[in-house]
Amino acid sequence: MTDDQKELRTLTYRDAIREAIHEAMQKDARVFLMGEDVGRYGGCFAVSKRLLEAFGPERIRDTPLSESGFVGAGIGAALGGMRPIVEIMTVNFSLLAAVQIINNAAVYLYMSGGQFNVPIVIRMATGGGRQLAAQHSRSLEGWYAHIPGIKVVSPATLEDARGMLWTALQDPDPVLIFENAGLYNMEGTLAGDAGAVDIDKAHVQRAGKDITIITYSANLYKSLEAAEILAKQGIDAEVIDLRTLRPLDDQTFLASVAKTHRALIVDEGWRSGSISAEISARIMEGAFYELDLPVERLCSVEAPMPYAKHMEDAVLPQVDKIVALVRKMVGANG
Amino acid sequence: MAKMTMVQALNLALRQEMERDENVIVLGEDVGVDGGVFRVTDGLHEAFGEERVVDTPLAENGIVGMSIGMAVYGLRPVCEIQFSGFAYQNFHQIENHASRLRWRSQGRYHVPMVLRAPYGGGVRALEHHSESREAFWAHIPGLKMVIPSGPRSARALLVSAIRDPDPVIFYEAKALYRAFREEVPEEEETLPLGESRIAREGDDLTLISYGAMLRPTLSAAEQLEKEDGVSAEVIDLLTISPLDDTLFVTSVKKTGHAMIVHEAPMSFGPGAEIIARLVEKAFYYLEVPIGRVTGYDVVIPLFAREKDYIPSVERITHEARRILET
Repeated sequence: MTDDQKELRTLTYRDAIREAIHEAMQKDARVFLMGEDVGRYGGCFAVSKRLLEAFGPERIRDTPLSESGFVGAGIGAALGGMRPIVEIMTVNFSLLAAVQIINNAAVYLYMSGGQFNVPIVIRMATGGGRQLAAQHSRSLEGWYAHIPGIKVVSPATLEDARGMLWTALQDPDPVLIFENAGLYNMEGTLAGDAGAVDIDKAHVQRAGKDITIITYSANLYKSLEAAEILAKQGIDAEVIDLRTLRPLDDQTFLASVAKTHRALIVDEGWRSGSISAEISARIMEGAFYELDLPVERLCSVEAPMPYAKHMEDAVLPQVDKIVALVRKMVGANG
Repeated sequence: MAKMTMVQALNLALRQEMERDENVIVLGEDVGVDGGVFRVTDGLHEAFGEERVVDTPLAENGIVGMSIGMAVYGLRPVCEIQFSGFAYQNFHQIENHASRLRWRSQGRYHVPMVLRAPYGGGVRALEHHSESREAFWAHIPGLKMVIPSGPRSARALLVSAIRDPDPVIFYEAKALYRAFREEVPEEEETLPLGESRIAREGDDLTLISYGAMLRPTLSAAEQLEKEDGVSAEVIDLLTISPLDDTLFVTSVKKTGHAMIVHEAPMSFGPGAEIIARLVEKAFYYLEVPIGRVTGYDVVIPLFAREKDYIPSVERITHEARRILET
């Protein structure tokens, strides 16, 4: 390895994903990208900018506005031996392709008696906070996490944005990658040789001893910010980035709760039937006797996402809400 | 009162509501001339004509989109999706339109529609015809998700669903359609949406269930009483969302032990939300961790292995004994 490869570079989350796509296309001729405006326009969030010039229209394919059609085509291509990366503009529109994902991609391996794998990767933007209102701001990744037969990952860091795609492409089964659109502009540094990372382990992003905050994607940063504020107030919070939502790595957060005896889940999804519910249930099943007090959940308000900035802020989990809830929990038993 | 199967009871509800309110329209695949694949709409086409009992093409997205339009216009559409496994075709219509039109229009429009769909296994059906995926709907604000547990509750809840001003997803367990009969009164009967009920009283353990799983849960409770002297309380949720947590929280405060039985896969399933609520509202009353007896985290198997997937009386009693012995 040269020094050049080791050197840290400054780039955005968006750049990291683009690099990952670029590298995958170079390394494997079966990989191609397909979706609405991914080609000439460079992607609606500019993730695929200049890829058309680099790889041509056969491998960077603009599709009609027809989610069910192009996800179906992606499944067919995967069955035929290709390694498609399908981009859906936002998770809300993925519902138009839900039948393809649930009834086809997720079950072919089983329905064919193990004859056919569907090695498709579907990327989509998720999350609120950008004043895009009710039909462009949902967090439905927990909903997809209920489906047996697929994997659901949600990169929060530049390392994961850069490294999860290649691992997902190596997986013989469908992988859904949820990219929080609020992260695309996030800038940071990445090693020159950053590459593939695992897609089955949660990470402890901040070690602490008083409470475990379990979160993922964009809320990782709100949780870390809250942890710093809490540290100044003498509360030492451990923050866990789930990274993969299905299959859920419960060992990492169970070990943490066994140490801190308190758990708070921060999840941008609607509270009822959310990821946070399954995590709370797993803690109940796996760490009940370690708990000093009930597991708490901080989720989005159960309403369609408002457009007005102050209302959207009120709907989403925020740093001050995390701080207040943790103080209440630690104080309640402190 | 007449003894009816769930199919007959649902048919009675539809017939009486169509007589009572001319705005009630039934539509779906084969619901008209053929009377529905499970015969739920039998005779309605003859009685009310093709204007009110509409045979549609095989286009679930269209059926639901059309229903939303009718409902906004002032009608009361009751659409049938032939199997709940085909309802994913119209998630977009339900999530992005039906569930939020009241909110988006600041209360000017509402969507009084019912989506009926048979769900669940146990009838030796093929793939896409046996799933239990109520969790998808239960996570969406603005929707009500209802699952009756027998003929009488099915009739009373369907009437309430048709009269509700907002969209209701109504799942009917295929395994219950003709499994047993119950007394169903000819005169009008409704049950409130959003309220659970105690199906059996007890003091030692709370079993929470709904739909097709209520009967094996009740049988397990009887067996536990007979063989172990354990008195189990059984809660029948009836509405999965919005979830009525008052009854089961009160029950668990009394019994200190809780277990959930559902047919849906475990991870991220309806049981997770119930556990989370109990952790939040009854934590200090719990003597041991809450148990879950559910479908497994795999695609529901084809009929040869179906019985191994669906919770049985044996699995329920086994888990109940483990909890009580902890």
